Amino acid sequence: MYFLALKMLFNDKAKFFGIVMGVTLASLVITQQGSIFVGLMARTFGVITDMNYPDIWVMDPKVQFIDDTKPLADTKLFEVRGVPGVASAVPLYKGMIRARTDNGLFQNCNLYGLDDSTLIGGPGEMVEGRLADLRMADSVIVDVEGASDKLAKKNPVPGGPKIPLSIGDTLELNDHRAVVVGISRGSRTFQSQPNVFTTYSRAVTFAPKERKLLSFVLVKAEPGEDLEKLRARITEATGLAAYTSQQFKMLTVNYFLKYTGIPINFGIAVSLGFIIGTLITGFMFYSFTIDNLKYLGTLKAMGTGDTTLMTMILLQALSVGCIGFGIGAGAATVFGMSMSGTQLAFWITWQILALSGGAVVIICMLAAMLSVRKVVALEPAVVFKG
Amino acid sequence: MIRTFLIPFLAIAGMIFAMAMVVRSSQPKPPSLPVVMPPTSPFASRVAGSGIIEANSENIAIGTPVGETVEKVAVKVGDDVQAGDVLFVLDTRDQESQLAVRKAELEAARQSLKRLESMPRSEEIPPAVARVEAARATMEDLQNQVAIMERVQDPRARSEEEMSRRRFAVLVAKGRLDEAEAALALLKAGAWKPEIEVAKAQVRAAEANVNQIQTEIDRRVIRAPIAGRVLQVKIRPGEFASAGMLATPLILMGAVEPLHVRVDVDENDAWRVRAGAKAEGYLRGNRDIKAALTFVRFEPYVVPKKSLTGDSSERVDTRVLQVLFSFDPKDLPVFVGQQMDVYIQSAPEGESTSKSNGPTSPAMESTK
Repeated sequence: MYFLALKMLFNDKAKFFGIVMGVTLASLVITQQGSIFVGLMARTFGVITDMNYPDIWVMDPKVQFIDDTKPLADTKLFEVRGVPGVASAVPLYKGMIRARTDNGLFQNCNLYGLDDSTLIGGPGEMVEGRLADLRMADSVIVDVEGASDKLAKKNPVPGGPKIPLSIGDTLELNDHRAVVVGISRGSRTFQSQPNVFTTYSRAVTFAPKERKLLSFVLVKAEPGEDLEKLRARITEATGLAAYTSQQFKMLTVNYFLKYTGIPINFGIAVSLGFIIGTLITGFMFYSFTIDNLKYLGTLKAMGTGDTTLMTMILLQALSVGCIGFGIGAGAATVFGMSMSGTQLAFWITWQILALSGGAVVIICMLAAMLSVRKVVALEPAVVFKG
Repeated sequence: MIRTFLIPFLAIAGMIFAMAMVVRSSQPKPPSLPVVMPPTSPFASRVAGSGIIEANSENIAIGTPVGETVEKVAVKVGDDVQAGDVLFVLDTRDQESQLAVRKAELEAARQSLKRLESMPRSEEIPPAVARVEAARATMEDLQNQVAIMERVQDPRARSEEEMSRRRFAVLVAKGRLDEAEAALALLKAGAWKPEIEVAKAQVRAAEANVNQIQTEIDRRVIRAPIAGRVLQVKIRPGEFASAGMLATPLILMGAVEPLHVRVDVDENDAWRVRAGAKAEGYLRGNRDIKAALTFVRFEPYVVPKKSLTGDSSERVDTRVLQVLFSFDPKDLPVFVGQQMDVYIQSAPEGESTSKSNGPTSPAMESTK
């Protein structure tokens, strides 16, 4: 009986194709827009993702997101170290600095000052050079995106491509000489500024003079320590805010969700995909059911129960749903892959797939519901009327 | 048939592809591991601070009492010196030449004293004695003549005028004898005592002058005030050593056994530090290089934290309690001036809060 339902579906090629297209479109739009949205949001906390060694980030209680640094006094570091359960705590400077490039242009960069001795927070992946080379005088590490584009050198041949920064090149950071000793790979930042890493003590000499310069304290908890309790202890002892990496990411994302139009924009795109997909699929499926009404009526006249007929229609709906979803997800992935070398943020997660799958199921259910109503209300005698 | 299954096949392929992408993109980032592991505290309840290693005598910035060019530097960096050993010598040519003058003056004073003391000159006495003898002989001769004249009874033979003339001649001769004897006595008596005293005083004054110059020369030889190690030599022969407080000391020295660590503790944490607390120090850059520290004392005065940026217009917002700990340099291969991460054991949370009696408590305890 169910095989009959599938045969019914596959044999009407035009209708089948139309329904699948509708589902595919919805699935493609939802998956693709969702992935771009997630990718974009993930960029806001890319730094926290990259610096995955610390368990807890300690900062001023008024910090709203990662780039909103409110510096602390240097001694806060030692107060945090004194909290029981803290295995180690190191300083991190994060700020903006103006780099003067080879062609005389100014470029704003994110400057990270890592703890001098441990270099905690340094990039995990090096394209060239070693992280430990930051111990050399005036040394900095630049991320590969910045090195090959915004901070790249001018080509001596007019109109030629830019020459990427490489080890040994010098930069001018806020009137200080800096020597590139390594090229790192990390997450892109939201504003696509080059990331420049150096040691804490050098960062504070590069940075514009301020009274307080300690942006974050990176805490590694003792093994087996309950992070939530440790956070509470740190806050109690120092009066500072302490977040786990995950919480700090959420804090950052929530700030962007709340204060930028990005979620609304993507929400609209996803909703449009959903609505259009539902409409196309729904009408096509309904018209498909109407076309096949005579067969269904015959079956009903032959004594097939309503439940069986409903299951048949649901099976048909789910089949086109699965096929459309598979093609849509695949197409979105291909799109993402083809864009991987560009500025586009694209990050497909299982949640996105689940969301888009869920949306497809809802679309199919809505479409099936219309048809089921028709079939349940069908008088078997109608088919024989001629 | 193929066409029938093309679309489902495409769907399955697309699904697998999407799944693969999900798995790939959810791969964790390569961990950003520290180059060296950070130190961890050995104590459950503790206060952390940054420490700087210094000599147990504190680092002594050797100065000079006078500004002068340097003639000789007697020590090298790293030398172990005893108290009183010469560190460097300033140019003393000026004082040397003055010394020669003063010494000559002393010699002159001494000689004039000696001259006075050795009076009378022996060669002067015989002529004086001879003069006395001569005067006496003259007088006796005249007395004799008077006596002869008096023995003459004949008044014609002797005129009264003649007699009186001779008698007066005797008196004159006697006077001459007295004079000669007095002159001899004066000669024999030698120099006048007050004059000798004056000369002696002059000698002492000249000696004092010599000593003064000698002291001036000594002051230009800079010596080690205590036994210790020379940590820095920033002066070389020919350079001008200025007197007074210098940004870079001429020579930095101190006693290095045991070494001390001066730990800065934030004033907010200061109340948690107890006198005699256990502590552990970790060398920056390698947490395996560590040593147990012994409590020495608190600095009773809480100082403003030294700022990192060095901007002169900076306001101070934190003050730090300085705690001194000591350790045997044999335990830890370190240099004076190196920084350390220090963990100081503190009373457990509950206990310490109930006991706290103001930020002065640590300093009070240290003076007990």
